[in-house]
Amino acid sequence: MFMLAVRSLRRRVAAFTATFLAAFLGAVLVMAFGSLSDTGAAEGVAETDRQTLSTMSTVVGGWSLVLVAFAVTSTLTLSVRQRATEMALLKCVGATPAQLRRMVLGEALLLALAGALVAIPAGALTGRALLALLKSTDQVADGVPFAYGPVALGAGIGVTVLGAAGAAFLTARRVARMRAVAALGSAADAGTGGGRLGKGRIILSALFLAGGVQLGVMAATAGPEGFDSMQFAGSADILFGIGLAGLAPMLVRGASAALARPVRRFGGASGYLAVLNLRQRTAQLAAALTPVILFVGIGVGTLWMQAIQNDTSAGAVPTTQEDAIETLNFVVTGMIVLFTCIMLINTLVAATTYRRREFGQQRLAGATRRQVLGMVVLEGAVLTVAGLVCGTIAALPTVLPFSYAKTDDWLPDPEYGIWLGTVAVAVTVTMAALVGTARRTLRTPAVEAVSVAS
Amino acid sequence: MRRSRSTRNAPHPPPESGEALRLVEVRKVYGDEGTRVTALAGVSLSLPHGTFTAVMGPSGSGKSTLLHCAAGLEEPDAGRVFVDGHELGGRSETALTRFRRAHIGFVFQQFNLLPTLTVTQNTTLPLKLAGRPIDHAAARAVLERVGLGQRLDHLPGQLSGGERQRVAIARALVTRPGVVLADEPTGALDSHSAREVLELLQETVRGYGRTVVMVTHDPVAAAYADVVVFLADGQLAGRMASPTARAVAERLTHLGDAAQQGIGG
Repeated sequence: MFMLAVRSLRRRVAAFTATFLAAFLGAVLVMAFGSLSDTGAAEGVAETDRQTLSTMSTVVGGWSLVLVAFAVTSTLTLSVRQRATEMALLKCVGATPAQLRRMVLGEALLLALAGALVAIPAGALTGRALLALLKSTDQVADGVPFAYGPVALGAGIGVTVLGAAGAAFLTARRVARMRAVAALGSAADAGTGGGRLGKGRIILSALFLAGGVQLGVMAATAGPEGFDSMQFAGSADILFGIGLAGLAPMLVRGASAALARPVRRFGGASGYLAVLNLRQRTAQLAAALTPVILFVGIGVGTLWMQAIQNDTSAGAVPTTQEDAIETLNFVVTGMIVLFTCIMLINTLVAATTYRRREFGQQRLAGATRRQVLGMVVLEGAVLTVAGLVCGTIAALPTVLPFSYAKTDDWLPDPEYGIWLGTVAVAVTVTMAALVGTARRTLRTPAVEAVSVAS
Repeated sequence: MRRSRSTRNAPHPPPESGEALRLVEVRKVYGDEGTRVTALAGVSLSLPHGTFTAVMGPSGSGKSTLLHCAAGLEEPDAGRVFVDGHELGGRSETALTRFRRAHIGFVFQQFNLLPTLTVTQNTTLPLKLAGRPIDHAAARAVLERVGLGQRLDHLPGQLSGGERQRVAIARALVTRPGVVLADEPTGALDSHSAREVLELLQETVRGYGRTVVMVTHDPVAAAYADVVVFLADGQLAGRMASPTARAVAERLTHLGDAAQQGIGG
């Protein structure tokens, strides 16, 4: 089965790019923050510097770690689900559930390990840049040498590999449990349906949501002085966003119920197909919704929080420390937002490329390219609207408590600029990725696209 | 020598009565230098309205390519194709899709139904895509005619192979196309389901007055047609009216031998 995993990887480079990319970028992020701990732990580093470095590493790095594990999980789940046909075939020729589990697990581990190893130099560069930033803002003494050691490598490789293994285990269990005939039957349907939430998933999501609220409460009660409230509030949107993303199938159903009528009414034949897809391909669309929620939630949350911080210190001359924290906040947010943005593109491209056969069938039934593109755009629009609403909600556990801590008022001044800016980026990225990929996919002649192969 | 390119900008000629499908010197070559395969080496064919024709030949004789070219799913390298008197050549992909939607029904070996759509929705999809009003009573009538009156709200995944193919036939008929093209429609079916599908195709000709062209490798299936056209090495290799399964099988065997000798020599 390990041999099969290796062969399967070699034959399907494109299909696994998404998972590899997620593992690679995630490992870079974790390694960069991990290297700060290594640097602080080196001998001869002053106690205050050690403190700053380890806080930065554990607080920010800790949450990005959660984010990375989540991203790797969701990409891998997508790629395994897309191979339902192959799994069903293997089952029919006699693969046992245990063999299938080993194959999926083997692939995931290979990919994660490869991604993490390639990430080592990139993580070192990013970590060095972070340290340089800390030095230039006088948070850390200039003389502290950069170190890249056990924490960076251990956390980077560990998180990526464990995240992938966990995800593979959960996904493979579902595939392996299915009966062979049922598996082929549903494979013929190219992954329709799904999206029914398991009890475990609901509980886990609820825990993340509760964690987000908890951090919000801690931020609200941390008081106006110092940076404690910012540290708590800054992580609240990540946790809350992941919680919401866990419930994505439910949210997709809600969004399609709410938007079905206008889409159908104004979308013509494309709208008709879009609504049917939204209802029946919940699981696939949920995978695409996840990164939109995280991108908007983390982007709006952190930027708005910084705006509140700037408002409260307006008038007074900002201290060097405030300046430094602001720069740092932007850089850190920038890295995390960039990560979710790439995940967004990654997921949408993978999910859309996979629909080649479906697009071909629609065209053979008489749909023009334009009608298929119209359908993709409308589906994307519904996803984006749902993502924007949920993302904005995810930003609230960051923004509201922070505002209360700083100004004694739960409701901060609205920041339309930040919101519109984030929304504009989310809409542009989502649509560009969807339409670009769909166009490329539609270039295959319809007759070829429906032939089973690949 | 007239090629499609020369008529690219000419207006489409008015429909000529009596002819449902006409191919003139159609050529199609696949591959690059060195790996060149000639799928159609100049095939001319004319099929009148209201006929049931089977196209037969050994594997690689160009049967499917012929059908794809006739449907505008593939563009011939040379030659002209007329469906219902309209020339296909020189149209854009979108224009071809629109034309196909209005004039051609296609039935595939692998059904190609959309898994997320119910039987009724699959059947009416071409109308929906064309923005034509959907006559639900007519769609239901077609579905009842193909024996799926009790399965209207099922998804393709819940149907047998034969039932799926009957949905595909209903879908091909719903736009009232001049020509129905079927590519190995019984290739994925058991003999009982195959017989039902073939009878249905026969009925589309006799009852609805459509023209059916069916590619098959099964002599029993070909025997349901009015005429069998044989293809070998991308060229027409004979014609048989009022075919029987035995006669077709015999002719086919000789065709295979001839083709082999052709390669050997």
